[in-house]
Amino acid sequence: MGLIKKLPVFAEKVPGGGIVTTSIEQVLNFAQAKSLWYLLFGTACCAIELMCTGASRYDFDRLGMIFRASPRQSDLIIVAGTITKKMAPRLRTLYDQMAEPRYVIAMGGCTIKGGPFYYDSYSVEKGIEHIIPVDIYIPGCPPRPESLLEGCLNLSKQIQKRKLGDWQEK
Amino acid sequence: MTKEELKSYLESNYPELTYSESGKYDLLFIVEAQKLVKTCEKLRDDVKLQFNYLGNISGVDTTENYLTVYQIASISNKLRLDIKVILPHDNPSINSVQSVWPAANWYEREIWELYGIEIHNHDNLTRFLLPDDWDQGHPMRKDWDAPDFIRFPQK
Repeated sequence: MGLIKKLPVFAEKVPGGGIVTTSIEQVLNFAQAKSLWYLLFGTACCAIELMCTGASRYDFDRLGMIFRASPRQSDLIIVAGTITKKMAPRLRTLYDQMAEPRYVIAMGGCTIKGGPFYYDSYSVEKGIEHIIPVDIYIPGCPPRPESLLEGCLNLSKQIQKRKLGDWQEK
Repeated sequence: MTKEELKSYLESNYPELTYSESGKYDLLFIVEAQKLVKTCEKLRDDVKLQFNYLGNISGVDTTENYLTVYQIASISNKLRLDIKVILPHDNPSINSVQSVWPAANWYEREIWELYGIEIHNHDNLTRFLLPDDWDQGHPMRKDWDAPDFIRFPQK
């Protein structure tokens, strides 16, 4: 009954089983918020923290987050690490290949504003919002796994508030 | 052969090499740009030295000159040596040492791309590290600038 308590549903007990009625919006949002599969995209030291978050101590799997190696199977891209100007078109291609609705988490200072490469750098893109739309920013250099987990939970909450057909390209 | 022996050997047998102060690091010699390839060949084929390993080529912009520094070593004789070439700031160009050490290929492409030092007799002088559609010049030059390039604020 844990699942039924979480959903705003009307549950009616009948002999030999039960009937649950709910809205498609609720089910879709619940399903996607609890199974955010993320694309492996680590380009620098933030990827180490991302790996740590996926490993047994912090355990991404309990949020239903499983890494995928293909953008076609991902709902979310966690951009973990420095994005250079040469890498930017590749990141855009991966984002375009993901199925909609798709979400982006910018993890770490480099993805937010270039981080330590803001000054005196000819090669680093100063913020990935110039390349792809970002939903959640997680500051830190690199952020601890707790920060990343909180960012993912916030995204999960955002998705659960979503209206049906509400998602559109930013 | 110790460091002092190598220094005296080079000073007596290689008139084209000029000793430059190098502190506690490897021996540093300066050579003219025209004599570079000949000297490198001689250093490699010298039985007593056998400098058969090219570790690194660095480019330097001192704002007055461009330098290229060749860090070479002899694996069989356990020797290390640095050779520096001083180039003018206007239209710097140098001959490739690819014929002496094939490893120079990529280093020279990088120097050509980032410092704009012209490399003669290079067999594959094409874009190496920068994006393929790069058209903003040579970014490692001290006087380089670009619209989105933010210099560290000086006090």
